[in-house]
Amino acid sequence: MNTMNETGRLPLRDFMAEDDGWGRVAGRETYGKLMPFIERHPGTLIFRVWLKGVRRVDISFASETIVELSRRYRGMKGFCFVDLKDTDQQENWNAAAERSRQPLFKWDEQGSPTVMGLQPTQGVSDALQFALQREVARAAEFAGSSGVSITNASNKFKQLWEQGFLLRREAVAESGGTEYVYARIR
Amino acid sequence: MEAIVISLPVRWTDGSGLEQSLRAGVWPHETNCSEVRFIVPAGCQLMTDAAVRFLSLCNQLDSALRRVIIDFEDSEAGVAGYLNRIGFFDCLSPTIEISPQRPPSSAKVKYKGQNPGVVEIERIDRNRRDTSLLERLTIAISQACGKRTDVKELTGAAWTIFAELIDNVFSHSQTPLDGFAALQVYSRGNCLKVTVSDSGLGLLQTLRPALRSQFPHLATLPDAELLVEVFSRGLSRHGGNRGCGLKGCADRAIKFRAELDVRLPQVRILLVPGTGGYRPNTAYSYSGLPLLWGTHISFTIPLD
Repeated sequence: MNTMNETGRLPLRDFMAEDDGWGRVAGRETYGKLMPFIERHPGTLIFRVWLKGVRRVDISFASETIVELSRRYRGMKGFCFVDLKDTDQQENWNAAAERSRQPLFKWDEQGSPTVMGLQPTQGVSDALQFALQREVARAAEFAGSSGVSITNASNKFKQLWEQGFLLRREAVAESGGTEYVYARIR
Repeated sequence: MEAIVISLPVRWTDGSGLEQSLRAGVWPHETNCSEVRFIVPAGCQLMTDAAVRFLSLCNQLDSALRRVIIDFEDSEAGVAGYLNRIGFFDCLSPTIEISPQRPPSSAKVKYKGQNPGVVEIERIDRNRRDTSLLERLTIAISQACGKRTDVKELTGAAWTIFAELIDNVFSHSQTPLDGFAALQVYSRGNCLKVTVSDSGLGLLQTLRPALRSQFPHLATLPDAELLVEVFSRGLSRHGGNRGCGLKGCADRAIKFRAELDVRLPQVRILLVPGTGGYRPNTAYSYSGLPLLWGTHISFTIPLD
């Protein structure tokens, strides 16, 4: 599972023409630079977005850049924020993610996550909390911990993966069969 | 019809006041008049939102080959002095006639940036994206409201509102005429007015054709209700994840209990904060108005 958690650093300012991310056109230009960068790192599954040097972004710019990347690679690669402290900016990233119905994680210095954009439904939020607390999670582990059936646990994780809350890959189960291992986007 | 005359009121005049004057007279875009004379009487004080819309209207009439005359009855001693200060005449088409005369020099250049409560009208030239424009507008807010504890939130909200509104002008307005942005802090009126105006197609004019295929249940809504949907849900002619900009503006503005004034070619809607979002104030919302090309949006943010 090591490769599943291979993370890369994505310094957003390096892809922007100026400190402010303003407007859809500028957002698309930045997206055009981000895409080749992502493609040049096929082994990187989780990109930690650093905002150092980015003064502000508006909702349109946010929508065309990291939110669009998250949407495009949903289920395959993940993008998260690790130095997003400005509440004002968080509102704009959140609004853009919400519009795209895309979850987007922000991690603080203590390692606590905040989900921006699409929120998990009540039925799967327990499974998401379980997965966020560990590097990787399996349906059997969650079933054992929460008392739900393995099928139910598996369905919850699958839904979270499809909606972009988690990543997953195939692995060999203890039984010798195939199982999915889910990972948080951090 | 040869010439028509429109008199502005003798009082503080905001977007609503300007609308009343336009409705009271002959409608200049809709007649085949050759000349439009605006009388600006002594005692008429144009607020920023009205000044910017008036500017757009004058330039539109000029581009439609009308002879346009603005008659300031108390010359530069009155509102013309203020308009000169905020750069109104720099943005006004040079072929528009000013009576008694066009101010000889631009006070905007002379006093630029010296009064933090006033921000000059900024030209939005669709062929040249001025990236420092937003910065100038927000610096002005932080200077004018520097003593407020929520100045950071206020500046951030105003930046987002300006960014989205001006980006909309670039994306949608489809006009050779410039758009304009301005803001002013009214310390006595305890409010901040943020206004962006363009002379292109109206917001709903670009949206309506797409509604039938993308949002058929909204296609039959009257303009006022459709505008509420634009600002509360986010709608775009392109569908998908687009259209979040104006909704984002409204979400930011409503936290400050801001009023939102939207003037489209023949409709004007005043949206006021209510429980659960913006709702139209029907007393100040009209349809069938005198034609004013474009989209003109003003936020009035109370500062108390």
